Amino acid sequence: MDQIYNAIFIGSIYALFALGFTLVFSVLDILNLAHPALFTLGAFTALFAMQQGVPAGLAVLVAFVVCGVAGVILDRVAFAPLRRRNAPPLSAMISSIGVSLILIRLIQLKYGPDLQAYPAGSLPADVFTVAGLQLDTLRTVIIALAVGLMAALTFLVRRTRLGRELRALAENPRAARLLGIDVDRAIAATFFLSAGLGGVAGALYGFATNSPFSQMGLNFELKAFAVMVVGGMGSIPGAVLGAYLLSFGEVASLTFLPSELRDAFAFGLLFVVLVVRPSGILGQRAVDRV
Amino acid sequence: MDKRIFGALGALAITLAACGGTGNTGASTAPSASAAKKADIKVGLVISLTGVGNVYGPVQKNGAELAVSRINAAGGVNGANLVLVTDDDQSTTDGGVTAFRKQVGQDRVVAILGPTLSNTAVAAHPVAQSAQTPVIAISNTGDGIVGKCSWGTCDYIFRASLGESTAIPQTVNVAKTKLNVKSVVLMYAQDDKFSSDGFAIFKKNLESAGITIKKEIAFSKTDVDLSTQVTAALAESPDAIVDSSLAGPAILILKEVAKKKPGQLVIGGNGFNTPAIIASAGQAAEGAVSGTAWYLSNADPVNKDFVAAYKAKYNSDPDQFAAQAYSAIYILVDALKRTPNVTSVLHEKLRDQIELTTGVKTPLGEFSFNSSHDVNQKVYVVQVKGGLFTQIN
Amino acid sequence: MDDLRAFFDAYQTTIGFIGINAILALSVWVTLYTGQLTLGNAAFMGIAAYTSALLTLKAQVPFPLALLCGSLLAGAISVPLGATVFRLRGVYLAIATLAFGEVVRVVILATPITGRGQGLVGIPPKTELWHIFASLLVIAYVCARLRISSVGRAWAAIREDEVAAASQGIPVHRYKLAAFVIGALIAGWAGGIAAHFNFAIQPDEYGFARAVQILVFAIVGGVPNVLGPILGAALLTALPAALQPLQEFRDILQGAILVLVIVYLPRGLSTVFDLRRSARLRRVGAQDVA
Repeated sequence: MDQIYNAIFIGSIYALFALGFTLVFSVLDILNLAHPALFTLGAFTALFAMQQGVPAGLAVLVAFVVCGVAGVILDRVAFAPLRRRNAPPLSAMISSIGVSLILIRLIQLKYGPDLQAYPAGSLPADVFTVAGLQLDTLRTVIIALAVGLMAALTFLVRRTRLGRELRALAENPRAARLLGIDVDRAIAATFFLSAGLGGVAGALYGFATNSPFSQMGLNFELKAFAVMVVGGMGSIPGAVLGAYLLSFGEVASLTFLPSELRDAFAFGLLFVVLVVRPSGILGQRAVDRV
Repeated sequence: MDKRIFGALGALAITLAACGGTGNTGASTAPSASAAKKADIKVGLVISLTGVGNVYGPVQKNGAELAVSRINAAGGVNGANLVLVTDDDQSTTDGGVTAFRKQVGQDRVVAILGPTLSNTAVAAHPVAQSAQTPVIAISNTGDGIVGKCSWGTCDYIFRASLGESTAIPQTVNVAKTKLNVKSVVLMYAQDDKFSSDGFAIFKKNLESAGITIKKEIAFSKTDVDLSTQVTAALAESPDAIVDSSLAGPAILILKEVAKKKPGQLVIGGNGFNTPAIIASAGQAAEGAVSGTAWYLSNADPVNKDFVAAYKAKYNSDPDQFAAQAYSAIYILVDALKRTPNVTSVLHEKLRDQIELTTGVKTPLGEFSFNSSHDVNQKVYVVQVKGGLFTQIN
Repeated sequence: MDDLRAFFDAYQTTIGFIGINAILALSVWVTLYTGQLTLGNAAFMGIAAYTSALLTLKAQVPFPLALLCGSLLAGAISVPLGATVFRLRGVYLAIATLAFGEVVRVVILATPITGRGQGLVGIPPKTELWHIFASLLVIAYVCARLRISSVGRAWAAIREDEVAAASQGIPVHRYKLAAFVIGALIAGWAGGIAAHFNFAIQPDEYGFARAVQILVFAIVGGVPNVLGPILGAALLTALPAALQPLQEFRDILQGAILVLVIVYLPRGLSTVFDLRRSARLRRVGAQDVA
């Protein structure tokens, strides 16, 4: 059914966005509210690259790298000083809000607040039919790419040394340091990955709508919370599961509920999950310190 | 300790606000140099330079500034220089009210153009009304802005931006008579005033035109994807899909429709009247129909002159918002020229002259106000053909 | 003198909002003081705003009574909400209250009497500046008294360590709920006052952005004492107005200031008053206990 394809597509974007967000939260306990700004930066970096003639696929890679670096810088400027001073956890969130303001405004100053468009003809526009379903190349490629990235991230976290270091860091930063893990490097890697993924999500979403604009990340912010909670805080497969649950839930509620109440469904579900099973479906950490 | 701190607090707050107050706020605050020169006439412009409305604010500023510089170059208002005092309403009700209060109380402008969004207008206009400062709304197209205002007596409020309640009936008429539309699905963004007003107006006019509304689909202006809603709409096989929303959702809808059912007619309100639709939706925008107050390729000589001047100064094409801001300045100046003894604050003297406005030549066409202080101009129903808005009525 | 009057008239709104935001910051402070991180106060503000506005608009209810009804309704709704979420901690509680806020917003949008997407207009502008500042003084005084009373000490104990507090015989759930409800009542009062200050209200004003904003006021100001939230609200409300002349770059400067303040004073602005004391203590070799 058409609606299932829609749900898969938007779920993939939710997942990519939420993955980056969850990564920083699970490893460092930081609610990085600058993540939507990095998402937006990804879309505009791709735009900039493509305006210089770079093909779309390569532009996504550029977005990944540029945003990854931006994420590392973000940490150095806004979060690291707070860690050094043993600041309360919420101060990092506030810091990220400040950075977000700056970043979005900078994008606006360069590109204006209006909807932009990628160069004509740079994105595939063809539609094809499979088993009576109308699909389009662009979104199918995006879905494939997103799933590939999710798999890659899971592999990285489960099977590589960096992944083990990140998991140790998430469990207990002090012990991690004692075990000889280069904590600073691990943190930098976390932000690089998180921001990079966010940037790619932004670029891909920008391609799909062909209307990147400076406020585009904000609408995803709330959904990211929902995804994180439903799937399980601090769990990467959980974030993926949560993303698709949310997108399928939204599509279903659109079909069966009056359209005005659709958002109420998402947040009502979120509320129920929190009350009944705060650790989410796949999360390990139950209730937590502030 | 608490008492001392409370006192310090008050001082701190006032000092901080004072730092902003004594600063320079106008775009071009020219000091009145010689005594022989006539005193400057201050006109206020309150627009969204930040916040969600800042898609429109900057071009409105361009249009107004272009008009002001041309008028001053041609001798100003009976010899007096026109000065534009620009403030940002931040796309919020608080921001709009603050900006209006400042312009009325501190800058003492003769009139105010703005604010950008209808949401802000219903909060900010009352401020001007109680200060008896005439207002010309340049981009509010919802209901209850002029005439019978939703917030009370509003005889100081005028509107130069074509209201949806005037434009939409024309659009529906063209849809029925020229495009043979007999059934529609009505989609709309339910959480912003412009879109919900437009929805109500579309519904009323579609029903009285005898066009069947097969389904009403509401969505949120912040929705990141509308493919589900579009699929549901197309399932009803309507002659046309009507969308009452701003440009962002409109683009999503156009693209989805083009993918799933190329050639499907899509009709919109004022949200469609921006080149961003054509740029972002590309081929998918072909055939989209809307009713507008202005379009770029209008061959009217006053419009061509405006477009050329705008392009020369800003290196890009103007859009409807720029045209309406530009026109409003000319309309205001026309009234000012007829007002005897122009001083700093004119209240009803200026208001009465604005009411008498007639036959002013603007890029929107010939302009006058009707008895409800609303727009009296030709409505252009346009369709996107070959990447350009083309008139079809 | 005339200039001062003109300035005052022009900046009435900003000054009024400094007061209103200070009251809102205090509403969040109450819950933060017990260690609860809530993002629901914007929704309580909205509930009371719509209630009181509808009462004065449609039923010609006298202003003070309408304010009271609005605030009480917000308080009443907060009771079942608080009871449902009392087990949640930290970020989970924040997200649950955020979800509640979104559900409220959707309900407002779906209910015809609230004007739905178009909001309410023509609200009688009954609020004067003295209403705002008198309310602020009373509320601040009450909060300050509570803080030094046994209730406040219990709250602080709960914030430090809930389990220890419970073992000392403090009825933790009841005290937490009390703080939650008091916060809702205060936020509701602010909502009613704000609604009658600006002639028109819209559902958007009571969403995620507002909730985060209030939280930022309180945290930037500092939680240890009542002064903090007031300072935070005053600074962050006056700042955009003061930076108006910068127009284009205002957001960037605001973001930068936010980051700087939180990085150098992670526990909030009000700690600036403690810095001298702790510097003295450090010189003497004593540790700062607070």
